[in-house]
Amino acid sequence: MNRNNFVTHLALAMVIILIAAFAGQLRKWQKEWRSSIRIVPVESKNPQLSWDLDTALTRPELLVRFRPGVSADIKAEIAARFNDRIEDKIGSVPGLVAIDDLDDLDAEISAATYRALPEVDYAEPNYEVSLDHAGGGFKHRHPDDPRFAQQWGLANDGSNGGKEGADINAMRAWATSTGSETVIVAVLDSGVDYTHEDLRNNIWVRPAELGPYEDNELGIIDDVNGYNAIDNSGDPMDDNGHGTHCAGIIGAEGGNNIGVAGVNWKVQIMPLKFMNAGGFGTTKDAIEAINYVIKRKRDGVNVRVISASWGSTMRSRALEDVIRSAQEAGILFVAASGNASVNTDRRPHFPAGYKLDNVISVAALTSNDELASFSNYGPKTVHVAAPGVGILSTWLGQDYEEKSGTSMATPFVAGVAALVISNNPEISVSDLRSLLFQSVDPLPSLAGRIVTGGRINAARAVGAE
Amino acid sequence: MALSKEEAVEKARKDLAKRLKISEDSISTKGVEDTEFPDTALGAGGRDEMSGQMLTSGWRIRLEADGKGYEYRANKHQLRLYNFKGSNYQVSTSEIEQ
Repeated sequence: MNRNNFVTHLALAMVIILIAAFAGQLRKWQKEWRSSIRIVPVESKNPQLSWDLDTALTRPELLVRFRPGVSADIKAEIAARFNDRIEDKIGSVPGLVAIDDLDDLDAEISAATYRALPEVDYAEPNYEVSLDHAGGGFKHRHPDDPRFAQQWGLANDGSNGGKEGADINAMRAWATSTGSETVIVAVLDSGVDYTHEDLRNNIWVRPAELGPYEDNELGIIDDVNGYNAIDNSGDPMDDNGHGTHCAGIIGAEGGNNIGVAGVNWKVQIMPLKFMNAGGFGTTKDAIEAINYVIKRKRDGVNVRVISASWGSTMRSRALEDVIRSAQEAGILFVAASGNASVNTDRRPHFPAGYKLDNVISVAALTSNDELASFSNYGPKTVHVAAPGVGILSTWLGQDYEEKSGTSMATPFVAGVAALVISNNPEISVSDLRSLLFQSVDPLPSLAGRIVTGGRINAARAVGAE
Repeated sequence: MALSKEEAVEKARKDLAKRLKISEDSISTKGVEDTEFPDTALGAGGRDEMSGQMLTSGWRIRLEADGKGYEYRANKHQLRLYNFKGSNYQVSTSEIEQ
């Protein structure tokens, strides 16, 4: 090799090295820029979603729902910033778009990147979903929670003496929505074990910008996770188990490979305690707790539903008035019809029996779609039915237990209400209540026994069928 | 301290003796059975009392005095006198509860 050839080759090699180095730096800069904005406030708030085995990832796309008020230009600008492209708008869900990731990055990571943005309500990978096992062409989603197979109320395959399809049709509903952490459901009960591993990521935490709860009579209460009306404290820890069970039905974290799935995989549960370790409490404390919810709603906390798995045969005008105030504040009140096996048209049970436009009274069903033997009913006073016998959910001591009662049926309905709101945040209380009534599955066992004559159907309520 | 079945029976007998103003020896225990009550107040809630609508395991304690029957209901959290002169009563709650 002569001297001229050597210099030429050396120059060529240096150019190639410089080009490679520049390309590598470009990739590094892109990665650094993306990671610098990937601020996930509570990492576990973003459950890893899982799918049926036969649901292969087909397209590196995302489903991103922007918050109300985010313009089309801003959406396009955000997508362009990540070298993505808005491919489609989902007309039936305001703000929801399908996004094509031109870089073909990991869909879960890209979804997390979007979720960290203040303009985004939620973001999730757009996997292909499988066809329903029973045919009919409906899509469904299956969580990876190991005890999901025991949750017949969500998906009844007919095993253990049950009847196939005697459930709230949750898997089809989940193809449309698995819930949203922007929706808050107050569980007015014996409190909630907010440390339970299957609940803690779905427990409401008072926003940093909101000060402690102040009441002229009660003083200042540091309500970090909710409110305890028994001792007027900010610690609504459950010492009975009843409230924790109800909370798990509404919103045990789904797709986290732990325990059970709630009707909502993601939601915010606001624990409220007014019943003691024995599972009973006073009307006055129930009123204080509802008053707390209304005040927090007026402070800007997006509480949309109160789940009330309790009651008595005593009518209280004061309790009725505060539930009416909740209605005026835009809060749905879902209540247990009671476990006395009676017709509540003749022997009322309260608060389910208050004739208010935000109250839903709930009866309990067996896994065979029969009215539970203990359940109250009433062709004029009990509105809908939901699973309520042998319901597996979260319990004290990081445990899970099967329980029965209209207490268990009630949070199924409260949970479906939250699921509907996650899909339609602006829906009014009256429209929500009507939608839940109109979307039931009529059952022969309920004909003439409750107002709608049907079992709640989550899939139909969210428009998935 | 959680209440045991034996303690519940003992407290029920003491309570009834006090209410009827009779000796405990004149009260006979007719039966104690494990059962399921319709709610967390054991189907014996008092006025102005709300209870969870969940089936709850407990004990039905049947006592008799002067030829008349009385029913107490209990679980580890509580003891209640059911339908005594038309009303339900919670018994010694503060002593029973933790």
